[in-house]
Amino acid sequence: MAASAPQAGSARPLWQRTSRLLTSLLSLLVTLIGLLAFTFMLSHLSPVDPVQQIAGDHASEATYAQVRHDLGLDQPVLVQFWRYISHLAQGNLGLSHLTNQPVSADLMRTFPATIELATCSMIFAAVFGVALALLAAWKPGSIIDNVARFISLLGYSVPVFWLGLLGLLLFYAVLHWSAGPGQLDDIWIYTLEPKTGFVLIDSWLSGDPEMFRNAIAHIWLPVVILGLLAMAGITRLLRAALLEESSKEYVILARAKGAGRTRILLRHIFPNVLGTLITVIALSYATLLEGSVLTETVFAWPGVGRYMTNALFSADVPAILGATLLIGSCFILLNAVADALTWLTDPRTR
Amino acid sequence: MKKIIPSLLALSMVAAFTTQAATPKDTLVIAQSTDDADSFDPAKGFELTTVQAFTNLYQRLVQSNPQNPTELQPTLATSWQPGSDNRSLTFELRKDAKFSSGNPLRPEDVIFSLGRVVKLNLDPSFILTQLGWNKDNVDSFLTKVDDNHVKISWSANVSPAYVLSLLSAPVSSIVDEKTALAHEKNGDFGNGWLATNSAGSGPYQIRKVVLHEVVLLTANPTSPAGAPKLKNILIKNVPEPAARRLLLEQGDVDIARNLGADQIAALKGKAGVKTEAIPMASLYYIQFNVGSDPVLKNPALWEAARYLFDYKGIANDLLKGQFEVHQTFLPKGFLGALNDTPYSYDPEKAKAILKKAGLTNVSFTLSTSNQPPYLDIAQALQGSFAKGGVKVEVQPGLSSEVSTKVKAHQYQATLNAWGADYFDPNTNAASFAYNPEDGSKTIAYRSDWHIPELSKQTLAATAESDNNKRVELYQAMQREVLKNSPYVIGLQARNLIALRDNLKGYVQGINPDMVYYSQVTK
Repeated sequence: MAASAPQAGSARPLWQRTSRLLTSLLSLLVTLIGLLAFTFMLSHLSPVDPVQQIAGDHASEATYAQVRHDLGLDQPVLVQFWRYISHLAQGNLGLSHLTNQPVSADLMRTFPATIELATCSMIFAAVFGVALALLAAWKPGSIIDNVARFISLLGYSVPVFWLGLLGLLLFYAVLHWSAGPGQLDDIWIYTLEPKTGFVLIDSWLSGDPEMFRNAIAHIWLPVVILGLLAMAGITRLLRAALLEESSKEYVILARAKGAGRTRILLRHIFPNVLGTLITVIALSYATLLEGSVLTETVFAWPGVGRYMTNALFSADVPAILGATLLIGSCFILLNAVADALTWLTDPRTR
Repeated sequence: MKKIIPSLLALSMVAAFTTQAATPKDTLVIAQSTDDADSFDPAKGFELTTVQAFTNLYQRLVQSNPQNPTELQPTLATSWQPGSDNRSLTFELRKDAKFSSGNPLRPEDVIFSLGRVVKLNLDPSFILTQLGWNKDNVDSFLTKVDDNHVKISWSANVSPAYVLSLLSAPVSSIVDEKTALAHEKNGDFGNGWLATNSAGSGPYQIRKVVLHEVVLLTANPTSPAGAPKLKNILIKNVPEPAARRLLLEQGDVDIARNLGADQIAALKGKAGVKTEAIPMASLYYIQFNVGSDPVLKNPALWEAARYLFDYKGIANDLLKGQFEVHQTFLPKGFLGALNDTPYSYDPEKAKAILKKAGLTNVSFTLSTSNQPPYLDIAQALQGSFAKGGVKVEVQPGLSSEVSTKVKAHQYQATLNAWGADYFDPNTNAASFAYNPEDGSKTIAYRSDWHIPELSKQTLAATAESDNNKRVELYQAMQREVLKNSPYVIGLQARNLIALRDNLKGYVQGINPDMVYYSQVTK
């Protein structure tokens, strides 16, 4: 008996939905393993000798050989990869040569700072990016539209490192509107008790409003600098999507029925580009998590971006692999979340 | 738009709540990059951040006088006596000395401290293994004489004066055995715990370390060195020099370290700030890999290269104040350092030397780190060598990548820097003028330069007890290397730092470990 085709407009049967979910999960797993294999191979092609990095310049041949053996580098590459995967399955990411700590502990310590910075930046970028795109699409060709396009161009073309230094010079050194680099002023370092690892939340929980205000004073500038990049992307893509929709028949029909410009934009067009917006936001968020290295350097922000950069400079293979896996997982996960949200919000994708 | 402007203003208002906090009165706040730090155990830490801390956390039996570094002064030892065999020293320990834990100093602590360095066999251990010590025999060289005396012996042919130099190095810091062993795990002599804690008798002790974020030291009032004047030292990781400069300028830190020439220029004349350029035991040099190409093996090329290094142009014009011209392998300030600078930039003379040797169309690749100031110097050298008819192709890379290739002899020439490992002339002689052909990756080895005679002289200098004779030996070796070696040593670095002008008593010496916080007031 042939399976009946789903009727137009109705939801797909349960088995199809389950199959889709399983396929997605399998695809996630395969992508993760692929990512691991690729990074692992890349780290082995690096011209930097990790044994020399650990053993030091003055190590004897015997010490060098011992360190090489301890690292398992005297084994075939496939054996090394299998060993890495096996350890990973037990939640063991290895020991960082740089910090002498388990990589998982290092990531637990540094990732909250990056999440805090990236999330705040994303909120900033989403709020202002969407607002700017709506304003631009509301009156294309107007001054507002030109401003939106200029900001998009600025966000894309100005290096974030330079913008960060300029921001510090203006808002910290000249105007005194922002606090300096770091997450808190020195006087708070003695008293802040880390509970969640997120300084904003921990300072709020401390019950000391001054400390919380100080944390905000430190974070807002890197958030704006980092958020500008994501905001530029959101504004540009959302504006284009809104303008594209506005030339479609249903918009012309709504206009003919006498609907106002604002109503058409918000009630008719915006819901139809929501899927695009969600995807853009999710991908921007993943980029912010991974791409905040320069902002973290300028603002002395102790996040995973800087941790990974230091690991790369010193050929700390377990740390490089661990951080890559973490960021890669975030990418994959956020993609999946974006897909799911698009599926939920846009009936056309079901 | 009407709604956006008020939102932006509101955001600005929130930010305007920020007050510019001066540093706490009892705390010295320092901004520097601490990304190099991996462990504050003196048996392991060998980077700038860690060795700078050791002098303040630990004491050694003997240490350099901060005001006159070549003079060794008693510290945890009150006196010492060489043995009749010239292969031992007996130290009398300070009777009143205590560690920050309250435990008194004992001969056992000295034996434990030096022995664990050798047994752990980590990067800085080579400083002590030069004495002929290894993990199996070290215990036999360290003896408790009585409750107040300890005897240190060695098998290598080195003089007691040289051994004293080694015992003044950070790796020879005396660790509180009882505290370290109380935190021992898997026979690591407390190495894991000491990565972020301290067990010494220095003027400070570690209160908190978050690697690559912050190092907080607090006063050790019972230190034999006396209680420090400030209660806390806070070293915060600020990787970007421009950000360090801004922090200092705003008064949010008291000292900003390792600034660039640009930052110092911007800070000069600013109210409340003073700048200093402290000579460092760090040399910048070109070295040729003589095994890579017959031309690079030709001494005429080495000589011509000495006239193609634009010493003054780079030191004075390109990197103002960050370097001084220095051409010998012992940095200025070291015992026996020769400050002769016989070479100056002269492309015509270089051309004549190359022509006489029949070398035409000379070209080579210069590998160097992609970080400042290496790339700036390399590009300047590209220009200055071109005027002498030598084509230089600059090949930048990650420091670790360049270093790996140089150690594997996979390069033609490299621009590099060399810092002293300890405060004795042998540290650089054993690098530039020593190739024992046993796989030790000295600078001479990296140049594939075979020098049995100079290697013998290097060993002889460590065996010499008479300081004047030692100086003569090192000066003769420096003259030889200056005249005939595949190196062009051109510059000695200065550490550019800026301090708030209310700061008094801060002392920093030529070697990385010579950083003294205990007398600082503000």
